[in-house]
Amino acid sequence: MSLDQKQKIIMALAGCFMAALLIVAWVEGGRQRVVKNPDAVVTSQNRDCVDCHRVKSPGIVGQWEISQHASSGIGCIECHQAEEGDVDGYDHEGSFIATIVTPGDCGECHEQETAEFEASHHANAGQILGSLDNVLAEVVEGFTRFDADGNKVEASAAAVSGCLQCHGSEIKVMADGKLDPATWPNTGIGRINPDGSRGSCSACHLRHNFSRAQARAPENCGRCHMGPDHPQLEVYTESKHGIAFAANRSRFEPLMEEKDWIPGDDFEQGPTCTTCHMSATKNLPLTHDVGERISWTLRPPVSEKIDAAALAQGRQVKSWQDRRSDMRQVCESCHAPEWVGNWYIQYDNLVNLYNDKFGRPSTELFKMAQSTGLLTATQFDEELEFTYFFLWHHEGRRARHGAAMMGPDYTQWHGMYEVAHRFYMEFVPQLREVIAHGRQSGKGAAAAQLAAKLDETLSSDHHKWFIGKMSAGEIAARKAAAEQFKQRYAQ
Amino acid sequence: MSSNVSDWFRSRFPVDEDLLRAAGSEPIPGHLKRWWWCIGGTPAYLFLVQVVTGILLTFYYVPSPDFAYESVQAISNDVRFGWFMRSVHRWSSHLMIVTLLLHMMRVFFTGAYRRPREINWMIGCGLLLTTLGMGFTGYSLVWEQLSYWGATVAANLLAAVPFIGDRLADFLRGGPTVGQSMLTRMFVFHIGALPTVLVGLISLHIFMIRSHGVSELGSPASKDAKTFRFFPDHLLTEISLALFLMFILTFLALVFPAGLEDKANPLVTPEHIKPEWYFFWAFRWLKLMSDQAAVVTQGLFVAIIVAWPLIDSWIRKRRPESEASIAFGAAGMALLLVLTVWEAFYLMH
Repeated sequence: MSLDQKQKIIMALAGCFMAALLIVAWVEGGRQRVVKNPDAVVTSQNRDCVDCHRVKSPGIVGQWEISQHASSGIGCIECHQAEEGDVDGYDHEGSFIATIVTPGDCGECHEQETAEFEASHHANAGQILGSLDNVLAEVVEGFTRFDADGNKVEASAAAVSGCLQCHGSEIKVMADGKLDPATWPNTGIGRINPDGSRGSCSACHLRHNFSRAQARAPENCGRCHMGPDHPQLEVYTESKHGIAFAANRSRFEPLMEEKDWIPGDDFEQGPTCTTCHMSATKNLPLTHDVGERISWTLRPPVSEKIDAAALAQGRQVKSWQDRRSDMRQVCESCHAPEWVGNWYIQYDNLVNLYNDKFGRPSTELFKMAQSTGLLTATQFDEELEFTYFFLWHHEGRRARHGAAMMGPDYTQWHGMYEVAHRFYMEFVPQLREVIAHGRQSGKGAAAAQLAAKLDETLSSDHHKWFIGKMSAGEIAARKAAAEQFKQRYAQ
Repeated sequence: MSSNVSDWFRSRFPVDEDLLRAAGSEPIPGHLKRWWWCIGGTPAYLFLVQVVTGILLTFYYVPSPDFAYESVQAISNDVRFGWFMRSVHRWSSHLMIVTLLLHMMRVFFTGAYRRPREINWMIGCGLLLTTLGMGFTGYSLVWEQLSYWGATVAANLLAAVPFIGDRLADFLRGGPTVGQSMLTRMFVFHIGALPTVLVGLISLHIFMIRSHGVSELGSPASKDAKTFRFFPDHLLTEISLALFLMFILTFLALVFPAGLEDKANPLVTPEHIKPEWYFFWAFRWLKLMSDQAAVVTQGLFVAIIVAWPLIDSWIRKRRPESEASIAFGAAGMALLLVLTVWEAFYLMH
């Protein structure tokens, strides 16, 4: 071979090599780099999932890559793998998987957490069909039909996008194997899953990074525990707990990712929702049963101790005293026992005041109006029904939650004041209208019975001021106090 | 001006230019005009590729059991062109061993190891063994499940060496178990000790070739007996080969990029432990007998190969027309091939 030929060959080979390098550069340019966790381990069985989804849905890969799961080599298949017979399982690029990861799946590794969760009130949150809230969403606001077997065949958009996103839907797998859009996407905490399990771990632990700091953030619970009917997030934000957390948040956040976040040990102020209701303390283990430390239920029209309903049904559950004792241990991580004891007295007094003055009387009067036929059998077709609902479901809860979580404005102005206003200015006048209407429509006996009950209520110590029956001594004392107030501000 | 610069350098680098010209004019046997006879230089070139890519990989590699695998993963996924550098590094190591074996086969079957080149054959054997050591230590550095357990088997095998086995194994592991100490040693061997040995042996090998001249092929009267100049003729052939290799390496890196198995887990033994392909024969041999018998016979086999020029000379003195070397070479190759294919099929199924 001549030198000239050799030079030509070299030129050709150099051209091939340069072309190959250009392809390398092109491949390099197309590579996505969203890895934020150098410890992320992509195992061989997850490699294809990660490579493909890094292009098709890079967000979920990015979420996973910063998770502790990724650092531990727990990837897509470990959680999404379905078993033969799973109704929601399907073949996807050579793997038999399910889109929905249920507590049953998480429980394969997180057994204790799943068991605690399943014993909690959260796990039953999906069973709201028949509740007043559900009637409002599906009948008053939306539309739902039932087939001959009593199955819902058409959902209420309000319920699907509203109620069920927090409470959880009952996931339906359609005949073609796809998930019914009326039930999915949904990460409601009481979701009823195709495998029969209840709940959704990702309701609180946002997929796919499952950050502890995120789960411990007050906004996490506030996704559902907020708004006019149960403003826990707003109450917390108003409370000194919330203020302390906000003031120290940037200092706390890096540490909140640690496994333990024990009040008194790992931080000195500013507990979040999970601190009091779930986190481990020096003496208590962490729990995923959020009711473990709650002594009152503030949800119904009339509050009762949290074990009352179960005891009435003959079921043995952890007593309210034990639950309160546990919560006191949390409080005492930062507060003195006497302080905690006195605070519980204040809290109990507010709940009892609401119960005795407004909750119980209004409920008794409303139920009497219903049972005697003075109200129609249809729910929410009369003004009194909305008024009563507002009274206990919105304002009554706000007052009680305000007291429970140390939010003074929610206890008073968004709470008891509005309860009182609703009771005296709307509930009582509307009740009198119902009585008058009953007398005019031939239901005199029922109307008389309800009128007597209303008189009895208004004549009680709680309400007699409203009908001018305050005692002379009390009138004089009020007048004197008002004079002193005027003098103070007159200066 | 250029004359001034040239003088400046010449006065500071007093190289004998006549010597350089003579080196460039080194007569190269005619058979080396065909590229397939030039394969002896390719391992050296591939070694250079590995040095360059290895230095770049070392920028990011962390020699610790906690981070080794993750750092390789980061090189493959995060570091710009990291996947390419790692793939080229890996493929060039495979090609280096392939070309070394081909070169040794050529030398062996053409009798180029015979007098006066016996020592250079032994140096070549040293180069092959050092290169295999480079492959083994590099494989271990990834700290994936198979490489971890491969290293464990190798350490156990070393322990079977008679008399000094335990000490050798302890030296390799840096203790009783495979862990940080062994990874550190593998790292030091891979990036420091073995490359230094390789550079020394390659230099010595080339020095010996230049001292003896490239061996002739065929009879002095044949067409191939004519010679040609090293510069530029042979150099251009070598450049062609280098470019071709770079193209092949780039192609292989693109089509078959270096992958990654699961991270090493000392608590979970894989169902099948798999060394690199060039150790398949030794691994299969190990499965056919006790560890000690395998180590002794393999050591003997290697010793015979290294000392073959002396053995061959001894045989030829007694039987000048003997073709024992061809018979031994063919039998040895057949044995290695059978064992390698056997193990490969076993691992596949």
